Amino acid sequence: MTTKLKRLALALATIATSGLALPGAHAQANEPVKGGTLIYLEQQAHTNLYPPAGGFYPNGGILNQITDKLTYQNPKTLEIEPWIAESWTVNADATAYTFKIRPGVTFSDGTPLDAAAVARNYDVFGLGNKALKQPVSEVINNYERSEVIDPLTVKFYFKKPSPGFLQGTSVIGSGLVAASTLALPFEQLGDATKIIGSGPFVVESETIGKELNLKAREEYNWGPAKLEHQGRAYLDGVKYIITGEDSVRIGALLAGQADFIRQVQAYDESQVEAQDYQIYAPSTRGVNNSVVFRPDNPLVADVKVRQALLHATDAKEIVTTLFSANYPQATSIIASSALGYKDVSAKLAFDLEKAKALLDEAGWSVGANGLRQKGGRELVLTAYESLPQPQNKETLQLVAQQWGKVGVKLSVLAGDSGSKTVDDLDPLKTPVSPAMVGRADPDVIKSQYYPKNRDMLRQKGGLSDKVQSFVDEKLNGLLEALASEPDRQKRLAIAGEIQDYVVDQAYAIPIFEEPQAYAGAPYVQGVAFEAVGRPSFYSTWLAEH
Amino acid sequence: MSAYLLNRVAQALFVLWAAFTVSFVLLQAMPGDAVLIKFQNPDLGLTAAQVAEIRASYAVDSPFVVQYVRTIGKFLTGDFGYSVQAGVPVGTLLAAHLPATLKLATLGFLLAGVLAILIAFVSSLTRFAWLRGALQSIPSLFISVPTFWLGIMLIQIFSFRLKLVPVINPAPWQELILPVMALAVPISAPLAQVLVRNIDDVMTRPFVVVARAKGATRFWVLWRHVAKNALLPTLTIAGVLFGELVAGAVVTETVFGLNGIGGLTERAVGSQDTAVLQAIVVISALAFVIINLVVDLLYPVLDPRLRTKAGVAA
Repeated sequence: MTTKLKRLALALATIATSGLALPGAHAQANEPVKGGTLIYLEQQAHTNLYPPAGGFYPNGGILNQITDKLTYQNPKTLEIEPWIAESWTVNADATAYTFKIRPGVTFSDGTPLDAAAVARNYDVFGLGNKALKQPVSEVINNYERSEVIDPLTVKFYFKKPSPGFLQGTSVIGSGLVAASTLALPFEQLGDATKIIGSGPFVVESETIGKELNLKAREEYNWGPAKLEHQGRAYLDGVKYIITGEDSVRIGALLAGQADFIRQVQAYDESQVEAQDYQIYAPSTRGVNNSVVFRPDNPLVADVKVRQALLHATDAKEIVTTLFSANYPQATSIIASSALGYKDVSAKLAFDLEKAKALLDEAGWSVGANGLRQKGGRELVLTAYESLPQPQNKETLQLVAQQWGKVGVKLSVLAGDSGSKTVDDLDPLKTPVSPAMVGRADPDVIKSQYYPKNRDMLRQKGGLSDKVQSFVDEKLNGLLEALASEPDRQKRLAIAGEIQDYVVDQAYAIPIFEEPQAYAGAPYVQGVAFEAVGRPSFYSTWLAEH
Repeated sequence: MSAYLLNRVAQALFVLWAAFTVSFVLLQAMPGDAVLIKFQNPDLGLTAAQVAEIRASYAVDSPFVVQYVRTIGKFLTGDFGYSVQAGVPVGTLLAAHLPATLKLATLGFLLAGVLAILIAFVSSLTRFAWLRGALQSIPSLFISVPTFWLGIMLIQIFSFRLKLVPVINPAPWQELILPVMALAVPISAPLAQVLVRNIDDVMTRPFVVVARAKGATRFWVLWRHVAKNALLPTLTIAGVLFGELVAGAVVTETVFGLNGIGGLTERAVGSQDTAVLQAIVVISALAFVIINLVVDLLYPVLDPRLRTKAGVAA
């Protein structure tokens, strides 16, 4: 009991001192110290730094320091606040957005960040650039064109209502970059030194795949207007070092060789906390870590089979066995801190008897070998583990054990990334798949399920040409409505309706709310996280140690 | 001699071509490709049509022969192409990663050699049977220790507990200490084994008895008469061990977070980054060919008997 209490206290302390409670909340009474370089150990090397590719955490961790966004989403309230845009107006049906740009902002190459620069960025993010192979940003829906009204006013037009756009201007994928960066072909954007932003840090040097050095921009004076901290960053620089080994990252942090690390597995949390180091586990506030079905596969085409598996899944056991208090059990398909969340936990109850009854009803009877059978076929399903998700293999294996109790076999495959990518497109080969995505706007549900976005359910006409017939017009209609309903209340209501629908249809089995887990030395102060859990080192400082 | 060299160079070119072709075929035969893996990534949120467009722009779906001819043509002009995953030219990647691996491999190999010679010499010189037995069982121990585990243990003990060498942000001279140790241990094992056996072998030869009868000390005999003779087969093994060295470097670099070809290979395999893998295969084959050529050329230097034979042949 005492350990539990200690855990809780630590979790609270984490929330209090992490930037989740950024403006105003002073965990430490002493004044921030200027100077010093933060040693940050990252698990994986960054890949392409084209801003819309910033969803990948190693990329986001860099882009968040070197680029600014039009707007700032307060991680505590999820409200959209001014940043590079001083103010904005949206027309009634959310098809036109006008932004007033803050004067005096420059990119680190000296070029101005004005209305023309913003327009240039969004034309690429909204429409893509085929010649340079730059893809469209996932967060911008229905984009038509931009118009520079005066040097500090820019207006965007949309083909259809795009209510998620304002939040879309605040995400990591909407970092503003200089014209010289946008002029480069996509395949050259893996070189961080070529990413010219207006952020509080500038890429000073990098050794690809090994380390990257950021240095503070002296003249930086345009942080989010409502932040308490203004002016240049407290740190002189940040040094990213790629350290792939979990044990080396944690060991180095505890041995005083590093200040801050990303990716701490739940089973390592206690050894970090035992030494008074801090675990930061900001929520990713998006679609929960789940298992989804591909109903195009005849084995899981019957809603009763899917419902049976949903009730056969004991999410609580998974969370308590494999994870920690930082991984709350899911109560809907999106996180409880996500915008538009609705508690549907009543429909997610673990109930073995109900699961068995549903499978019987669906005509799957237990065969001699203990596996459910119907018409000579056995209920044997396959899923590939997802490497970026925490302990995903173990999670799936535990799910497989649980499903085994109702006579369903789930094979968990590792596979090389090529086979995985190819098989993942084919519902016959992967009827089950792990899934999660973070973004603090209800649009994230659409991103996850809409056939023209991530298409997690694999519908006909979506990402894969291997799908035979599965389409859910009702779901797609709801998702489209979600992405284009300009009225906020109605939009949140639609989000709730979708959560009910996805769980009723048992398209997904939500398991836990996924955090991004970091650990920091006790003297590291003022680390903030954007709404989806990527670190911001703008207000970070190193106390004496 | 020059005909011999020409012959060897022709062989080397053939090996390079074969390595290139075999790896090309294998990489093409694997399911999926780098472009698919990268752009089908849900984090990018691309639609099927967009992915298809990107695929077309990279021309990844063009026929096998067309791709083969195009790639080999580019390689011949020194253009290794772009890394799809990293978004930088392969040439840049290699330039950034090769020096670290060269340093690690050279030092690792030297240390392995020193370890092997130490084990072999001390075990043949010692008068204590127990010490001899203990020393001669070291290679079996060394070869059974997984490099991965050894690396982590070295870090835990020397860096995190004793705080002798930092692994994060080390000075250039500190950076290689632990990785070189981790790499040298498994490489030294087969070297030591071969060396011990050969020394034992040569020790029983009549000329050794003669030398001893003339009053030479054990050490003198070992150093002047036995070592040179025993070294030759060891040298052959050393050439072959280069493959082991590359494999060991992959693990060592990953554990220590070194920015070398090994780490690069590991990432490129993960993302099927064909252009990078192709370049690494060719470079490894080139290094293999050169090392074995050097070994062959060293034989006559070490053994005068081979010198005359080569002379007769030429």
